[in-house]
Amino acid sequence: MTDIRLSTIDLKDTRFKFSYGRDNERLRSSIGIAGIVEPVILLDRKPYIPVAGFRRLDCARSLKMRSVPALIVDVPEKEAFLRAVHTNIERGYNIIEKADILSRMDGLGFQRPDILEQMEYLGLHPGEKMLKICIAVAGLEPVLKGFIFNNIASLRNIELFLLFDAGERKRIVRSLAGVHLTESMVREIFEMLHILRIRKGKLTGADIPALPDAGALRAHLKKRTHPVLTSLARKLKAIRDKMAVPPGVDIRVDPFFEKEYIDLVLRIKDDDGIRTALATISGLAEAGHLRSILDLTKGTIR
Amino acid sequence: MTLQKVQFVDNSTDIIRKCPGTKHHICCGYQTIDLIEGCVLSCSYCILKAYLKNDVIKVSCDPDATTRELDRLIDGSAKHILRFGTGELSDSLALDRQLRLNRFLVDYFGHKKKAILELKSKWADFRHLIPYLNPFTVISFSVSPQRFIDSEEQRTSPIHKRLKAARLAQDNGCFVGLHFDPVVIYDGFERDYRYLIEDIGRILDPGKIIWISLGLLRFPPALYGQLIEKKRRYLLSGEFIRGEDGKYRYIKPERIRIYKLLYKLLKKIDSRLFIYLCMERADIWKEVFGITMESSEGLVRLFDERIKNLYGGML
Repeated sequence: MTDIRLSTIDLKDTRFKFSYGRDNERLRSSIGIAGIVEPVILLDRKPYIPVAGFRRLDCARSLKMRSVPALIVDVPEKEAFLRAVHTNIERGYNIIEKADILSRMDGLGFQRPDILEQMEYLGLHPGEKMLKICIAVAGLEPVLKGFIFNNIASLRNIELFLLFDAGERKRIVRSLAGVHLTESMVREIFEMLHILRIRKGKLTGADIPALPDAGALRAHLKKRTHPVLTSLARKLKAIRDKMAVPPGVDIRVDPFFEKEYIDLVLRIKDDDGIRTALATISGLAEAGHLRSILDLTKGTIR
Repeated sequence: MTLQKVQFVDNSTDIIRKCPGTKHHICCGYQTIDLIEGCVLSCSYCILKAYLKNDVIKVSCDPDATTRELDRLIDGSAKHILRFGTGELSDSLALDRQLRLNRFLVDYFGHKKKAILELKSKWADFRHLIPYLNPFTVISFSVSPQRFIDSEEQRTSPIHKRLKAARLAQDNGCFVGLHFDPVVIYDGFERDYRYLIEDIGRILDPGKIIWISLGLLRFPPALYGQLIEKKRRYLLSGEFIRGEDGKYRYIKPERIRIYKLLYKLLKKIDSRLFIYLCMERADIWKEVFGITMESSEGLVRLFDERIKNLYGGML
């Protein structure tokens, strides 16, 4: 290990840099207090080429340090690349970083078996399909990468996102900008959009409007992909609104109206509670409300 | 006609299995003889695509072990007339001309005379079996409108060939089965099914149709993604929900509407046709047929009755 002057390092050479979406602030504070503890790795060229430690180098530059501790290696570029990958393998890579690594390996002419081996180290299923997804992610525009980074963790959802064409992807990102999404919500929205796309041939702006929240978009899509289910849910809501079910009584209906029965759940603390709950149910039955719900679950009403 | 690799494997146990059925749905109690795992026909909706890890077709044929096991099961069943089939993990006929796997089964059931073998297929050639056929072998075909076959069952026989083959089976002394499965909702499907059922009425002898099953499209979640990826428009036109068994199915009002439609059209051919629903809920049975079918046992009893009526004292 030796101290190397920052001015002798080509800080603009990012051929071995994969980090994406990582914040340097805490690292900068730490280096400000304790200096660079772990040496950076530099390739022995003139000027030196950074192999690992890009964030440390960024912090050193912003802290106006004149030199950094470094380990100098003189190896072929492919080997340096693998060192760069494995230096941070314990820290773990996010999906954009993994995609970048694999795409660059492909670009550098690594053999397929070598790439597939690295996929295992990266925690990805080694296979052509997964590699194709990663290379596609690496080639996306920054705004789309940002959308994936912020909203999608599962590879299945990424795969569904990539199945849309470029224009549709942009529309989706615009529509979902700033909306809080869960992974299951993303999946449901993507699947419904694909169903519409397959049925209609292509998606238009009317299919993906900008709505205030994911729930509204979900409802908008559901109405189009599941008209019967939406109609049944609307009818059920109308019945529920009429019923004014008191607290302590819950009527559970299968969300897909598949089960022919309904569950009545009563919360009871004492004898009075039992009498009140039974009277409530009796009242609901006499008014025909329970019958109306059972008509919906029988499957004869659309 | 095979492009996939056929691999012969040694598996003399676990060849005969009960149809796995599905939770909360009525099953016909059919048993499967799985001599082949994998299929050359490659229908786009086939659930084998979701279950089998690769394209290799595995063949395991040990006639002695299989007939020993069949003896044990058939002789041990005093309660019901057992029905067996080879079309669960593969097509019964698609490879049989090359592999000749059904011959020993056809012979066995012909001699045993106590149970039924059903060869279920979308492949309309069984001429190599004709000399050996007997009434205890039922030749069955999946039937769908040609428009759907062209799109989703591209490597199978066209419908007119399947129906001609079914007629040939009837003319050779066999009962035939027809399986409307999967029935698929797409633009104009009602008209296509009406024409198909008219063709069935014209080509086949309804008195020799032993049973007809109706089953609307359903598939496991693993296949849903594949259908989306491959943009299967025909298969994704309807409105799907997740059933109690976790599988995707059409929403219940649609299923009831379509079953009723098909049932009415089929009964126009001959009111005595035996029609059942494949893997459906008891409440759908009630709504479509007006029958209270609380468990699979009830359906198995209906099959027993049907077979006794057709075979008389033969079985």
